[in-house]
Amino acid sequence: MQAQQVVFRRAGSGLGLLLALFTFLVVFWLAILTPVAAQSADEGEAVFSEKCAACHTFGGGDLVGPDLEGVSDRRDPAWLSRWIAEPDAMLAEGDPVAVDMLAEFNNVPMPNLSLSDTEVASLVAYLGTRSSAAPAAVPVQVAEQSTVGSSEPDAATGKALFEGSNRFQNGGPPCLACHSIAGIGALGGGALGPDLTGSFGKFGEDGMASILATTPFETMTPIFDDQPLTDEEQAHLSLFLSRAAVSKRTAASVGQLALLGLVGAVFLLMVMQFLWRRRLREVRRPMVARSRARIERARQAQEEQRKATPGTESR
Amino acid sequence: MDIRAQVSMVFHLDKCIGCHTCSVACKNIWTDREGVEYQWWNNVETKPGTGYPTLWENQDEYKGGWEAEDGRLQLKLQSKIGTLGNIFYNRRLPTVNDYYEPWTYDYEHLFNAPEGDDQPTARPISLITGEFMEIESGPNWDDDLGGSPVYASNDPNVGSLTDEERAQLNEIERVMFFYLPRICNHCINPGCVAACPAGAAYKRGEDGIVLVNQDKCRAWRMCISGCPYKKVYYNWSTGKSEKCVLCFPRLESGQAPACFHSCVGRIRYLGVLLYDADRIEEVASSPESELVEAQRGIIQDPFDPEVIAAAKANGVTDGMLQAAKHSPVYKFVKEWKLALPLHPEFRTVPMLYYVPPMLPVLAKMKDGKYDVADAEAEGLKPQLTSLENARAPLAYMANLFSAGNEEIVTEVYRKLIAVRVYKRAEKVGDISQEEAQEALALGNMTAEEAEAIFRLTALPSFEERFVVPPLAREVAIEQIESPYDRKREGGFGSRTAPGRRW
Repeated sequence: MQAQQVVFRRAGSGLGLLLALFTFLVVFWLAILTPVAAQSADEGEAVFSEKCAACHTFGGGDLVGPDLEGVSDRRDPAWLSRWIAEPDAMLAEGDPVAVDMLAEFNNVPMPNLSLSDTEVASLVAYLGTRSSAAPAAVPVQVAEQSTVGSSEPDAATGKALFEGSNRFQNGGPPCLACHSIAGIGALGGGALGPDLTGSFGKFGEDGMASILATTPFETMTPIFDDQPLTDEEQAHLSLFLSRAAVSKRTAASVGQLALLGLVGAVFLLMVMQFLWRRRLREVRRPMVARSRARIERARQAQEEQRKATPGTESR
Repeated sequence: MDIRAQVSMVFHLDKCIGCHTCSVACKNIWTDREGVEYQWWNNVETKPGTGYPTLWENQDEYKGGWEAEDGRLQLKLQSKIGTLGNIFYNRRLPTVNDYYEPWTYDYEHLFNAPEGDDQPTARPISLITGEFMEIESGPNWDDDLGGSPVYASNDPNVGSLTDEERAQLNEIERVMFFYLPRICNHCINPGCVAACPAGAAYKRGEDGIVLVNQDKCRAWRMCISGCPYKKVYYNWSTGKSEKCVLCFPRLESGQAPACFHSCVGRIRYLGVLLYDADRIEEVASSPESELVEAQRGIIQDPFDPEVIAAAKANGVTDGMLQAAKHSPVYKFVKEWKLALPLHPEFRTVPMLYYVPPMLPVLAKMKDGKYDVADAEAEGLKPQLTSLENARAPLAYMANLFSAGNEEIVTEVYRKLIAVRVYKRAEKVGDISQEEAQEALALGNMTAEEAEAIFRLTALPSFEERFVVPPLAREVAIEQIESPYDRKREGGFGSRTAPGRRW
């Protein structure tokens, strides 16, 4: 009983400490929140260039997603906030505008970028300033990036990067780990991500370039945010992906896969046959067969002996 | 000292008449379900013979039990790493043909057959495939020496016999057989428990019954190979292994197991033994010729205050200790040293003991006449020489019950003969008292002991044969769950069907 009380007292003091820490955090958060609200549009610009610019422009035309010129005039602010915050939920609910847009943009859904409420608010504020102001020079990072590079883009290098025989400079995993594509051999690549054979045709050159630069997908973001692809690598990969888009999986490669599977299966069976060559097969039937053969031999020997010694045949 | 209690058994083979009532009682209670048709948790074999499954004693084939290398115990089947390597394929499983393909008959045909010239017959139907089949084998195919040129001559225990002894086994008018009823031995060092990769097979703490947890079993089937007695079976319907449970629900309510209860010859005895768990490894790894003696040594005296104190410290209940004091098994195994373990060389330290059979008094051909050996001799002589001239070679019995040590079997037979001679001198009176005393001296026993052995062999009451301890399951489960919750939620036990079926 005493021990229990001690435990409770300890837990109580721990609770007090937690409460104090919580109060402190709330105060601290309120303190830093005020300036954020003031600089909402500036914050929004930063968030936009980091998370949205891969697919969207202002007056630069549609990329993967629509051109956002005048978007706050076209859309209700409440709708816009929610769409930025949770596009997946809205699509699932079947919001008519969202569904139409999805159809319009090649069925590439806008991903949920897990933005905080403040980030969403600042983004909406920023979009408002951009719509009412005169169109500024579009910061199309993408276009710049694809032209920057010390060497000419090369599809073979792109393939090597895709397969991982050349490592990415910043240490990201090779594409092959999660994606398959035509032209990399019969065994293909990973199946976690989609097959990238038709991806170039789907997103277009600009879209692909922005995707490679920002990797805006839920699964890829945590991997490539810390170790992004360099501009050169992006160029190589983009070229490789564009070549892959026109090549097709040939019937020969399917046959190759089947043959590989067959050879592998036969090899494994042989290994098993060797490893388990001393397995127990059957006991009773072989035993009975052995004994019957022995009895038969003995009977024949007896008969021969009887024939050999005349006079016993009458028995 | 780590004293534990074990519900253990003695089968008195001289009394077994081979009626299979035990097998049928067991079958009706436990193995009349789909998937277990071929299982006989209790079976009765004819010896010499190959038994069920065929040649189960031949561990060159089945790799059951343990082997001791430099005093270190190791499963014959495989090491722990071997278990991992072979986990998806057990190389040492008997096939269904080594048991037998279970069957029924097409009885309906007897009623529904169209009119014809011949009587309709009921053809056998496989209980596995449901198709007509040819019966090739059964659970007791070599009963009463049936097919003995094949089956009896392949008995693994005959293997080490001399040609003379083997000829003696087969000689006409001398040919002999006896019955060997078998259930799970509920071993102290069980191979099935050691081989199980899933931890499903276990030995129950309070009474030593070896069980397979149907929820934990993952069908690796290593237990089936690990058990040298082939007493764990695979249920092909549920995908779980099953075995003799020593009718623990009956024991828990104070009844003897069904095979014991129904035994016509009253050959079976059940009682508690106390053993020292600290010495298991030492006993199981002792040299072959000393295995029986070592196994007797691990069993502790239930009257020794030190043993009692150690047992109580271990949580053995007073009721269990009381039962141990009255245990007929303790008398047969430890006090009188009459009952021997079956194949102690498998090193699982089995807790089912057998009193070897005496068989009829020797008869043989003499001058063209069938006669009792040395019948002309006066008095004691035919009785005393019956051991040397026994129909069953001692070596054969030694292979079965003492890992080939003939001395131990001889001692047992000397005692059994002494009891016979002593009682004959007393009841029939055609043997003199001096000769009876001589026989007792040969058997190294007193008249009181002979009388006690006779009483417990020939005239025991139900309560003397089965000293079922109060298992107090309600106390034992307190360690795992609240008995009141269990009573409320579980009702009279609870049954959950295994999830996997195909």
